[in-house]
Amino acid sequence: MAGLVNRGSPLGPIPACAGIGLRSVHHDALLAERPAVGFIEAHTENYFHAGGAAVRALERARSNYPLSLHGVGLGLGSADGVDHAHLERVRAAVRRFEPALVSEHACWGQAGGEYFNDLLPLPCTAEAAGLLARQVAEAQDFLGVQLLIENVSAYVAFEHATLTEWEFLGEVVARSGCALLLDVNNVYVSAQNLGLDACAYIAGVPAASVREIHLAGHVRNGNVLIDSHSSQVCDEVWELYRAAIARFGPLPTLVEWDNDIPALATLVAESTRAQRVLDERHGLAA
Amino acid sequence: MASLRDLQRSFAAALRDPGVACPVLPPANLSIYRNNAGIGFRAALERTFPVVRQRVGDEYFRQLAAHYRELFPSRSGDLFWVGRDFAAFLDEYLRGDYSWLADLARLEWSRAECSVAADAPAIGADALAGIPPGDLEHLVFGLQPALRLHSSSYPVFTVWETNQAENAPPVDQSLGAELGIVHLRDGLPEVRRLDPHLFSFLSALHQGQTLGRAMTTAGLEEESLTHALAFLFNSSLVSSLTVNGGTAEGLLPAQ
Repeated sequence: MAGLVNRGSPLGPIPACAGIGLRSVHHDALLAERPAVGFIEAHTENYFHAGGAAVRALERARSNYPLSLHGVGLGLGSADGVDHAHLERVRAAVRRFEPALVSEHACWGQAGGEYFNDLLPLPCTAEAAGLLARQVAEAQDFLGVQLLIENVSAYVAFEHATLTEWEFLGEVVARSGCALLLDVNNVYVSAQNLGLDACAYIAGVPAASVREIHLAGHVRNGNVLIDSHSSQVCDEVWELYRAAIARFGPLPTLVEWDNDIPALATLVAESTRAQRVLDERHGLAA
Repeated sequence: MASLRDLQRSFAAALRDPGVACPVLPPANLSIYRNNAGIGFRAALERTFPVVRQRVGDEYFRQLAAHYRELFPSRSGDLFWVGRDFAAFLDEYLRGDYSWLADLARLEWSRAECSVAADAPAIGADALAGIPPGDLEHLVFGLQPALRLHSSSYPVFTVWETNQAENAPPVDQSLGAELGIVHLRDGLPEVRRLDPHLFSFLSALHQGQTLGRAMTTAGLEEESLTHALAFLFNSSLVSSLTVNGGTAEGLLPAQ
Protein backbone atom coordinates (compact mmCIF):
# COMPACT_ATOMS: atom_id res chain seq x y z
CA MET A 1 0.00 0.00 0.00
CA ALA A 2 2.74 2.42 0.94
CA GLY A 3 4.27 2.01 -2.49
CA LEU A 4 1.12 3.36 -4.10
CA VAL A 5 1.23 6.61 -2.20
CA ASN A 6 2.59 9.56 -4.13
CA ARG A 7 5.58 10.85 -2.18
CA GLY A 8 5.53 14.15 -4.02
CA SER A 9 8.02 16.11 -6.09
CA PRO A 10 10.38 18.65 -4.52
CA LEU A 11 8.59 21.71 -5.87
CA GLY A 12 5.06 20.33 -5.77
CA PRO A 13 2.65 20.48 -2.82
CA ILE A 14 3.37 18.55 0.36
CA PRO A 15 1.70 15.15 -0.13
CA ALA A 16 -0.52 13.59 2.55
CA CYS A 17 2.47 11.58 3.75
CA ALA A 18 4.70 11.36 6.78
CA GLY A 19 7.77 13.59 6.87
CA ILE A 20 10.66 14.33 9.17
CA GLY A 21 12.17 17.43 10.72
CA LEU A 22 15.52 18.48 9.23
CA ARG A 23 18.17 18.63 11.95
CA SER A 24 21.80 19.58 11.42
CA VAL A 25 23.10 16.29 12.83
CA HIS A 26 21.23 14.48 10.03
CA HIS A 27 22.31 16.71 7.13
CA ASP A 28 24.94 14.32 5.79
CA ALA A 29 22.96 11.13 6.44
CA LEU A 30 19.86 12.57 4.76
CA LEU A 31 21.83 13.34 1.61
CA ALA A 32 23.63 9.99 1.61
CA GLU A 33 20.69 7.73 2.50
CA ARG A 34 17.83 9.63 0.80
CA PRO A 35 15.16 7.97 2.97
CA ALA A 36 11.70 7.70 1.37
CA VAL A 37 9.93 10.29 3.51
CA GLY A 38 7.14 12.44 2.12
CA PHE A 39 8.66 15.82 2.96
CA ILE A 40 11.09 17.62 5.22
CA GLU A 41 10.33 20.42 7.63
CA ALA A 42 12.92 22.95 8.72
CA HIS A 43 12.84 25.55 11.49
CA THR A 44 12.76 28.79 9.54
CA GLU A 45 15.06 30.65 11.96
CA ASN A 46 17.88 28.16 11.37
CA TYR A 47 18.03 29.28 7.73
CA PHE A 48 17.91 33.07 8.12
CA HIS A 49 21.55 33.63 7.28
CA ALA A 50 23.09 34.42 3.92
CA GLY A 51 25.41 31.40 3.98
CA GLY A 52 26.84 28.62 6.07
CA ALA A 53 26.67 24.87 6.30
CA ALA A 54 23.00 24.76 7.37
CA VAL A 55 21.81 26.82 4.42
CA ARG A 56 23.86 24.76 1.98
CA ALA A 57 22.49 21.52 3.46
CA LEU A 58 18.91 22.76 3.13
CA GLU A 59 19.53 23.80 -0.46
CA ARG A 60 20.78 20.30 -1.24
CA ALA A 61 18.02 18.51 0.68
CA ARG A 62 15.51 20.83 -0.95
CA SER A 63 16.24 19.37 -4.36
CA ASN A 64 15.17 15.92 -3.11
CA TYR A 65 12.10 16.63 -0.98
CA PRO A 66 9.09 18.92 -0.73
CA LEU A 67 9.75 21.46 2.02
CA SER A 68 7.75 22.94 4.87
CA LEU A 69 9.18 25.95 6.72
CA HIS A 70 8.15 26.03 10.36
CA GLY A 71 8.78 29.22 12.32
CA VAL A 72 9.32 29.34 16.05
CA GLY A 73 10.24 32.99 16.55
CA LEU A 74 7.55 35.30 15.19
CA GLY A 75 5.32 35.20 18.29
CA LEU A 76 2.35 36.57 16.35
CA GLY A 77 0.30 36.80 19.55
CA SER A 78 2.62 39.38 21.13
CA ALA A 79 0.49 42.38 22.15
CA ASP A 80 3.41 44.70 21.37
CA GLY A 81 2.90 44.00 17.69
CA VAL A 82 4.48 42.12 14.80
CA ASP A 83 8.29 42.00 14.70
CA HIS A 84 8.78 43.36 11.20
CA ALA A 85 12.52 42.69 11.09
CA HIS A 86 11.86 39.03 11.88
CA LEU A 87 9.00 38.89 9.39
CA GLU A 88 11.30 40.24 6.67
CA ARG A 89 13.78 37.45 7.36
CA VAL A 90 10.96 34.91 7.13
CA ARG A 91 9.98 36.39 3.78
CA ALA A 92 13.57 36.17 2.54
CA ALA A 93 13.66 32.48 3.56
CA VAL A 94 10.30 31.83 1.87
CA ARG A 95 11.54 33.44 -1.36
CA ARG A 96 14.83 31.60 -1.23
CA PHE A 97 13.64 28.09 -0.40
CA GLU A 98 10.12 28.17 -1.90
CA PRO A 99 8.44 25.99 0.74
CA ALA A 100 5.09 24.39 -0.05
CA LEU A 101 3.89 25.12 3.50
CA VAL A 102 4.77 27.91 5.94
CA SER A 103 3.72 27.60 9.55
CA GLU A 104 3.97 29.40 12.88
CA HIS A 105 2.50 29.08 16.37
CA ALA A 106 -0.50 30.42 18.25
CA CYS A 107 1.68 32.05 20.88
CA TRP A 108 3.52 35.17 21.91
CA GLY A 109 7.23 35.57 22.55
CA GLN A 110 8.24 39.06 23.66
CA ALA A 111 7.12 41.94 25.83
CA GLY A 112 8.77 45.32 26.17
CA GLY A 113 11.51 44.28 23.74
CA GLU A 114 12.66 41.27 25.77
CA TYR A 115 12.35 37.99 23.89
CA PHE A 116 11.88 34.72 25.72
CA ASN A 117 12.49 32.53 22.67
CA ASP A 118 9.74 30.20 23.77
CA LEU A 119 6.18 29.46 22.69
CA LEU A 120 4.32 31.39 25.40
CA PRO A 121 0.60 30.68 25.91
CA LEU A 122 -2.23 33.03 24.99
CA PRO A 123 -5.41 33.27 27.07
CA CYS A 124 -8.38 31.82 25.20
CA THR A 125 -10.29 35.08 25.03
CA ALA A 126 -11.95 37.00 22.19
CA GLU A 127 -9.39 39.77 22.70
CA ALA A 128 -6.39 37.44 22.22
CA ALA A 129 -8.04 35.62 19.29
CA GLY A 130 -8.72 38.99 17.64
CA LEU A 131 -5.16 40.21 18.14
CA LEU A 132 -3.61 36.96 16.92
CA ALA A 133 -5.92 36.92 13.90
CA ARG A 134 -5.04 40.53 12.96
CA GLN A 135 -1.33 39.84 13.19
CA VAL A 136 -1.57 36.51 11.36
CA ALA A 137 -3.44 38.32 8.58
CA GLU A 138 -0.75 41.03 8.51
CA ALA A 139 1.99 38.38 8.26
CA GLN A 140 0.11 36.52 5.51
CA ASP A 141 -0.28 39.71 3.50
CA PHE A 142 3.41 40.51 3.88
CA LEU A 143 4.60 36.98 3.08
CA GLY A 144 2.10 36.41 0.30
CA VAL A 145 1.23 32.95 1.62
CA GLN A 146 -1.45 31.40 3.78
CA LEU A 147 0.02 30.48 7.16
CA LEU A 148 -0.66 27.30 9.07
CA ILE A 149 -1.00 28.19 12.76
CA GLU A 150 -0.09 25.52 15.30
CA ASN A 151 -1.59 24.95 18.75
CA VAL A 152 1.09 24.94 21.45
CA SER A 153 1.52 22.84 24.57
CA ALA A 154 0.19 24.64 27.62
CA TYR A 155 1.43 24.36 31.18
CA VAL A 156 -0.84 27.06 32.61
CA ALA A 157 -4.42 28.21 32.07
CA PHE A 158 -5.62 31.80 32.42
CA GLU A 159 -8.25 32.59 35.01
CA HIS A 160 -10.26 34.81 32.68
CA ALA A 161 -10.35 32.51 29.62
CA THR A 162 -13.81 32.39 28.04
CA LEU A 163 -13.21 30.08 25.05
CA THR A 164 -11.99 26.51 24.72
CA GLU A 165 -8.72 26.13 22.82
CA TRP A 166 -10.52 24.71 19.80
CA GLU A 167 -13.01 27.58 19.81
CA PHE A 168 -10.06 29.96 20.07
CA LEU A 169 -8.35 28.38 17.05
CA GLY A 170 -11.64 28.44 15.14
CA GLU A 171 -11.95 32.18 15.80
CA VAL A 172 -8.42 32.81 14.54
CA VAL A 173 -9.10 30.80 11.37
CA ALA A 174 -12.40 32.58 10.74
CA ARG A 175 -10.97 36.06 11.23
CA SER A 176 -7.56 35.69 9.52
CA GLY A 177 -8.15 33.14 6.79
CA CYS A 178 -5.22 31.07 8.05
CA ALA A 179 -5.15 27.27 8.13
CA LEU A 180 -4.18 25.06 11.08
CA LEU A 181 -1.30 22.80 11.91
CA LEU A 182 -2.68 20.53 14.60
CA ASP A 183 -0.01 19.20 16.93
CA VAL A 184 -1.63 16.09 18.37
CA ASN A 185 1.04 15.72 21.03
CA ASN A 186 0.38 19.31 22.12
CA VAL A 187 -3.34 18.53 22.31
CA TYR A 188 -2.55 15.57 24.55
CA VAL A 189 -0.04 17.47 26.72
CA SER A 190 -2.35 20.47 27.20
CA ALA A 191 -5.31 18.20 27.89
CA GLN A 192 -3.40 16.26 30.55
CA ASN A 193 -1.95 19.39 32.14
CA LEU A 194 -5.13 21.46 32.18
CA GLY A 195 -7.75 18.73 32.60
CA LEU A 196 -9.25 19.06 29.11
CA ASP A 197 -10.88 16.39 26.97
CA ALA A 198 -8.41 15.63 24.17
CA CYS A 199 -11.06 13.84 22.08
CA ALA A 200 -13.39 16.83 22.34
CA TYR A 201 -10.46 19.01 21.22
CA ILE A 202 -9.88 16.88 18.09
CA ALA A 203 -13.64 16.83 17.44
CA GLY A 204 -13.91 20.60 17.98
CA VAL A 205 -11.29 22.12 15.69
CA PRO A 206 -12.55 23.28 12.28
CA ALA A 207 -11.75 20.15 10.27
CA ALA A 208 -11.59 21.74 6.83
CA SER A 209 -8.83 24.12 8.01
CA VAL A 210 -6.39 21.50 9.31
CA ARG A 211 -3.63 21.03 6.70
CA GLU A 212 -0.85 19.34 8.66
CA ILE A 213 -0.33 17.25 11.77
CA HIS A 214 2.60 17.22 14.16
CA LEU A 215 3.54 14.31 16.40
CA ALA A 216 6.26 14.28 19.04
CA GLY A 217 7.34 12.76 22.30
CA HIS A 218 6.97 14.35 25.72
CA VAL A 219 8.29 13.68 29.20
CA ARG A 220 6.59 13.62 32.57
CA ASN A 221 7.92 15.90 35.29
CA GLY A 222 5.90 15.22 38.45
CA ASN A 223 2.28 16.00 37.57
CA VAL A 224 3.17 17.93 34.45
CA LEU A 225 3.79 16.69 30.91
CA ILE A 226 6.53 18.63 29.15
CA ASP A 227 6.53 18.89 25.35
CA SER A 228 10.19 17.90 25.05
CA HIS A 229 10.45 16.54 21.49
CA SER A 230 13.02 14.18 22.94
CA SER A 231 11.52 10.71 22.59
CA GLN A 232 9.21 8.44 20.67
CA VAL A 233 5.54 9.23 20.29
CA CYS A 234 3.57 7.56 23.11
CA ASP A 235 0.67 5.11 22.58
CA GLU A 236 -1.98 7.58 23.73
CA VAL A 237 -0.82 10.14 21.16
CA TRP A 238 -0.86 7.49 18.41
CA GLU A 239 -4.48 6.74 19.39
CA LEU A 240 -5.38 10.43 19.19
CA TYR A 241 -3.59 10.66 15.86
CA ARG A 242 -5.74 7.84 14.47
CA ALA A 243 -8.82 9.70 15.68
CA ALA A 244 -7.56 12.89 14.05
CA ILE A 245 -6.84 11.21 10.71
CA ALA A 246 -10.23 9.46 10.87
CA ARG A 247 -11.85 12.88 11.17
CA PHE A 248 -9.64 15.03 8.93
CA GLY A 249 -8.60 12.47 6.34
CA PRO A 250 -4.96 11.81 5.41
CA LEU A 251 -2.77 14.88 6.01
CA PRO A 252 0.95 15.67 5.84
CA THR A 253 2.28 14.46 9.17
CA LEU A 254 5.56 15.39 10.78
CA VAL A 255 7.34 13.55 13.56
CA GLU A 256 9.34 16.15 15.53
CA TRP A 257 12.40 15.06 17.44
CA ASP A 258 14.56 18.05 18.39
CA ASN A 259 16.33 17.01 21.59
CA ASP A 260 18.30 13.85 22.33
CA ILE A 261 18.12 13.43 18.56
CA PRO A 262 18.46 9.76 17.52
CA ALA A 263 20.06 8.29 14.41
CA LEU A 264 18.25 9.22 11.21
CA ALA A 265 17.04 5.61 10.83
CA THR A 266 15.20 5.81 14.18
CA LEU A 267 13.50 9.04 13.19
CA VAL A 268 12.55 7.60 9.81
CA ALA A 269 11.14 4.49 11.55
CA GLU A 270 8.93 6.72 13.72
CA SER A 271 7.81 8.57 10.62
CA THR A 272 7.04 5.22 8.96
CA ARG A 273 4.65 4.41 11.83
CA ALA A 274 2.73 7.57 10.98
CA GLN A 275 2.82 6.60 7.32
CA ARG A 276 1.15 3.27 8.17
CA VAL A 277 -1.72 5.11 9.86
CA LEU A 278 -2.08 7.29 6.77
CA ASP A 279 -1.92 4.25 4.48
CA GLU A 280 -4.72 2.60 6.45
CA ARG A 281 -6.84 5.69 5.97
CA HIS A 282 -5.91 5.94 2.30
CA GLY A 283 -6.92 2.27 2.01
CA LEU A 284 -10.32 2.99 3.54
CA ALA A 285 -10.86 5.86 1.17
CA ALA A 286 -9.88 3.84 -1.91
CA MET B 1 -9.57 42.67 33.78
CA ALA B 2 -6.10 43.47 32.51
CA SER B 3 -5.57 43.98 28.80
CA LEU B 4 -3.61 41.36 26.86
CA ARG B 5 -0.65 43.73 26.80
CA ASP B 6 -0.72 44.15 30.58
CA LEU B 7 -1.15 40.42 31.02
CA GLN B 8 1.93 39.72 28.87
CA ARG B 9 3.92 42.36 30.78
CA SER B 10 3.04 40.69 34.08
CA PHE B 11 3.77 37.22 32.64
CA ALA B 12 7.17 38.49 31.44
CA ALA B 13 7.88 40.05 34.84
CA ALA B 14 6.98 36.74 36.52
CA LEU B 15 9.40 34.94 34.19
CA ARG B 16 12.17 37.28 35.29
CA ASP B 17 11.25 37.25 38.97
CA PRO B 18 9.52 34.29 40.66
CA GLY B 19 8.22 36.72 43.32
CA VAL B 20 5.98 38.55 40.82
CA ALA B 21 2.36 37.34 40.65
CA CYS B 22 0.60 36.53 37.36
CA PRO B 23 -3.04 35.35 37.04
CA VAL B 24 -2.37 31.85 35.74
CA LEU B 25 -3.21 28.39 37.07
CA PRO B 26 -1.30 26.70 38.50
CA PRO B 27 1.17 29.53 39.24
CA ALA B 28 3.92 27.02 40.03
CA ASN B 29 3.99 25.95 36.38
CA LEU B 30 5.35 29.35 35.34
CA SER B 31 8.70 27.88 36.36
CA ILE B 32 8.55 25.65 33.24
CA TYR B 33 8.51 28.72 31.00
CA ARG B 34 11.11 30.42 33.20
CA ASN B 35 13.43 27.43 32.85
CA ASN B 36 12.82 27.09 29.11
CA ALA B 37 13.82 30.70 28.52
CA GLY B 38 16.98 30.39 30.62
CA ILE B 39 18.00 27.04 29.11
CA GLY B 40 17.40 28.19 25.53
CA PHE B 41 19.45 31.34 26.08
CA ARG B 42 22.31 29.46 27.70
CA ALA B 43 22.31 26.72 25.05
CA ALA B 44 22.64 29.37 22.34
CA LEU B 45 25.65 30.86 24.17
CA GLU B 46 27.16 27.40 24.57
CA ARG B 47 26.89 26.79 20.83
CA THR B 48 28.59 30.09 20.07
CA PHE B 49 31.29 30.10 22.76
CA PRO B 50 32.42 26.48 23.21
CA VAL B 51 36.01 27.42 24.00
CA VAL B 52 35.10 30.04 26.61
CA ARG B 53 32.88 27.40 28.17
CA GLN B 54 35.63 24.81 28.10
CA ARG B 55 38.08 27.20 29.77
CA VAL B 56 35.76 28.33 32.59
CA GLY B 57 33.89 25.04 33.15
CA ASP B 58 30.16 24.31 32.94
CA GLU B 59 29.17 25.65 36.33
CA TYR B 60 30.87 29.02 35.96
CA PHE B 61 29.60 29.34 32.39
CA ARG B 62 26.05 28.89 33.73
CA GLN B 63 26.63 31.73 36.18
CA LEU B 64 28.09 33.93 33.45
CA ALA B 65 25.15 33.18 31.16
CA ALA B 66 22.63 34.03 33.88
CA HIS B 67 24.31 37.36 34.75
CA TYR B 68 24.74 38.19 31.09
CA ARG B 69 21.06 37.52 30.39
CA GLU B 70 20.02 39.91 33.18
CA LEU B 71 21.98 42.73 31.55
CA PHE B 72 21.62 41.70 27.90
CA PRO B 73 18.34 39.80 27.47
CA SER B 74 17.47 38.35 24.07
CA ARG B 75 16.34 41.07 21.66
CA SER B 76 15.37 38.82 18.78
CA GLY B 77 13.18 35.86 17.96
CA ASP B 78 16.35 34.29 16.53
CA LEU B 79 18.63 33.01 19.30
CA PHE B 80 21.72 33.27 17.10
CA TRP B 81 22.08 36.93 18.09
CA VAL B 82 22.16 36.51 21.87
CA GLY B 83 25.96 36.19 21.80
CA ARG B 84 26.52 39.57 20.17
CA ASP B 85 27.31 41.45 23.40
CA PHE B 86 28.92 38.61 25.34
CA ALA B 87 32.50 39.84 24.86
CA ALA B 88 31.56 43.38 25.92
CA PHE B 89 29.85 41.92 28.98
CA LEU B 90 32.93 39.85 29.85
CA ASP B 91 35.11 42.97 29.48
CA GLU B 92 33.12 44.59 32.27
CA TYR B 93 32.41 41.54 34.35
CA LEU B 94 35.84 39.92 34.35
CA ARG B 95 38.68 42.26 34.85
CA GLY B 96 42.32 41.68 35.61
CA ASP B 97 43.69 38.21 35.12
CA TYR B 98 40.68 36.91 33.21
CA SER B 99 40.18 39.69 30.70
CA TRP B 100 41.71 37.41 28.04
CA LEU B 101 38.38 35.56 28.10
CA ALA B 102 36.68 38.61 26.59
CA ASP B 103 39.15 38.56 23.68
CA LEU B 104 38.55 34.83 23.30
CA ALA B 105 34.79 35.53 23.21
CA ARG B 106 35.37 38.16 20.49
CA LEU B 107 37.22 35.55 18.46
CA GLU B 108 34.42 33.01 18.91
CA TRP B 109 31.75 35.58 17.99
CA SER B 110 33.68 36.38 14.81
CA ARG B 111 33.76 32.70 14.05
CA ALA B 112 29.98 32.44 14.58
CA GLU B 113 29.34 35.39 12.26
CA CYS B 114 31.73 33.99 9.70
CA SER B 115 30.09 30.56 9.84
CA VAL B 116 26.81 32.00 8.51
CA ALA B 117 28.27 34.56 6.11
CA ALA B 118 27.60 34.39 2.38
CA ASP B 119 30.22 32.68 0.28
CA ALA B 120 31.93 35.48 -1.61
CA PRO B 121 33.50 34.62 -4.95
CA ALA B 122 37.28 34.95 -4.78
CA ILE B 123 39.74 35.83 -7.51
CA GLY B 124 43.06 34.10 -8.05
CA ALA B 125 46.57 35.50 -8.26
CA ASP B 126 46.38 35.27 -12.05
CA ALA B 127 44.26 38.44 -11.92
CA LEU B 128 47.47 40.33 -11.13
CA ALA B 129 48.83 39.42 -14.57
CA GLY B 130 46.33 41.80 -16.16
CA ILE B 131 47.55 44.81 -14.16
CA PRO B 132 50.11 47.06 -15.88
CA PRO B 133 53.31 47.00 -13.78
CA GLY B 134 53.11 50.72 -13.19
CA ASP B 135 49.66 50.35 -11.61
CA LEU B 136 50.59 47.63 -9.13
CA GLU B 137 51.43 49.99 -6.29
CA HIS B 138 48.05 51.74 -6.77
CA LEU B 139 46.05 48.53 -6.44
CA VAL B 140 43.22 48.49 -3.89
CA PHE B 141 42.20 45.03 -2.67
CA GLY B 142 38.55 44.24 -2.10
CA LEU B 143 38.65 41.59 0.63
CA GLN B 144 36.19 38.84 1.50
CA PRO B 145 33.27 40.41 3.47
CA ALA B 146 33.40 37.62 6.08
CA LEU B 147 37.01 38.48 7.00
CA ARG B 148 37.48 39.55 10.65
CA LEU B 149 40.80 40.81 12.05
CA HIS B 150 41.75 40.25 15.65
CA SER B 151 44.47 41.83 17.71
CA SER B 152 44.73 40.73 21.33
CA SER B 153 47.16 41.42 24.17
CA TYR B 154 46.75 37.76 25.04
CA PRO B 155 47.56 34.47 23.26
CA VAL B 156 43.89 33.91 22.31
CA PHE B 157 44.68 32.16 19.03
CA THR B 158 46.80 29.61 20.85
CA VAL B 159 44.03 29.19 23.44
CA TRP B 160 41.45 28.67 20.70
CA GLU B 161 43.60 26.19 18.83
CA THR B 162 44.67 24.23 21.92
CA ASN B 163 41.06 23.91 23.05
CA GLN B 164 39.86 22.24 19.88
CA ALA B 165 40.78 19.12 21.87
CA GLU B 166 38.91 18.23 25.04
CA ASN B 167 40.62 18.55 28.42
CA ALA B 168 43.24 20.92 27.01
CA PRO B 169 45.68 22.28 29.58
CA PRO B 170 45.71 26.02 30.35
CA VAL B 171 47.77 28.12 27.97
CA ASP B 172 50.72 30.05 29.36
CA GLN B 173 49.51 33.65 29.24
CA SER B 174 53.11 34.88 29.18
CA LEU B 175 53.08 33.92 25.48
CA GLY B 176 51.72 37.43 25.15
CA ALA B 177 49.98 39.29 22.36
CA GLU B 178 48.68 37.50 19.29
CA LEU B 179 47.26 38.70 15.98
CA GLY B 180 45.20 36.90 13.42
CA ILE B 181 42.06 36.53 11.37
CA VAL B 182 38.84 34.62 11.07
CA HIS B 183 37.74 34.03 7.49
CA LEU B 184 35.80 31.70 5.24
CA ARG B 185 37.69 29.01 3.41
CA ASP B 186 35.79 26.61 1.18
CA GLY B 187 32.62 27.74 2.92
CA LEU B 188 33.88 27.00 6.43
CA PRO B 189 35.15 29.43 9.06
CA GLU B 190 38.88 29.29 9.69
CA VAL B 191 40.79 30.80 12.60
CA ARG B 192 44.44 31.69 11.82
CA ARG B 193 47.19 33.37 13.76
CA LEU B 194 49.35 35.65 11.61
CA ASP B 195 52.83 37.07 12.08
CA PRO B 196 52.87 40.82 12.84
CA HIS B 197 54.09 41.92 9.38
CA LEU B 198 51.46 39.95 7.52
CA PHE B 199 48.76 41.08 9.95
CA SER B 200 49.77 44.70 9.58
CA PHE B 201 49.81 44.38 5.77
CA LEU B 202 46.38 42.75 5.74
CA SER B 203 44.99 45.36 8.16
CA ALA B 204 46.23 48.17 5.93
CA LEU B 205 44.63 46.59 2.85
CA HIS B 206 41.45 46.01 4.86
CA GLN B 207 41.38 49.75 5.64
CA GLY B 208 41.51 50.44 1.92
CA GLN B 209 45.15 51.42 1.60
CA THR B 210 46.78 50.85 -1.78
CA LEU B 211 49.25 48.01 -2.16
CA GLY B 212 52.17 50.45 -2.11
CA ARG B 213 51.02 52.22 1.04
CA ALA B 214 50.15 48.95 2.78
CA MET B 215 53.67 47.68 2.15
CA THR B 216 55.08 50.83 3.75
CA THR B 217 52.65 50.64 6.67
CA ALA B 218 53.60 47.02 7.33
CA GLY B 219 57.32 47.54 6.70
CA LEU B 220 57.06 44.79 4.12
CA GLU B 221 60.12 44.29 1.90
CA GLU B 222 59.61 43.38 -1.75
CA GLU B 223 60.97 39.87 -1.16
CA SER B 224 58.23 39.26 1.44
CA LEU B 225 55.52 40.59 -0.85
CA THR B 226 55.31 37.44 -2.95
CA HIS B 227 54.73 35.38 0.17
CA ALA B 228 52.08 37.83 1.48
CA LEU B 229 50.22 37.96 -1.82
CA ALA B 230 50.34 34.18 -2.16
CA PHE B 231 48.78 33.95 1.30
CA LEU B 232 45.98 36.36 0.37
CA PHE B 233 45.06 34.63 -2.86
CA ASN B 234 45.53 31.06 -1.61
CA SER B 235 43.27 31.82 1.36
CA SER B 236 40.51 33.07 -1.01
CA LEU B 237 40.63 36.44 0.74
CA VAL B 238 40.58 38.65 -2.37
CA SER B 239 37.25 39.35 -4.01
CA SER B 240 38.21 42.28 -6.28
CA LEU B 241 41.12 44.41 -7.46
CA THR B 242 40.77 48.06 -8.36
CA VAL B 243 43.43 50.48 -9.54
CA ASN B 244 43.11 53.55 -7.32
CA GLY B 245 42.21 56.48 -9.54
CA GLY B 246 42.48 54.16 -12.48
CA THR B 247 40.18 53.47 -15.35
CA ALA B 248 37.44 50.90 -15.72
CA GLU B 249 39.97 48.56 -17.34
CA GLY B 250 41.64 48.31 -13.96
CA LEU B 251 38.53 46.94 -12.30
CA LEU B 252 38.66 43.19 -11.94
CA PRO B 253 35.66 41.94 -10.00
CA ALA B 254 35.41 38.28 -9.09
CA GLN B 255 33.93 36.09 -11.78
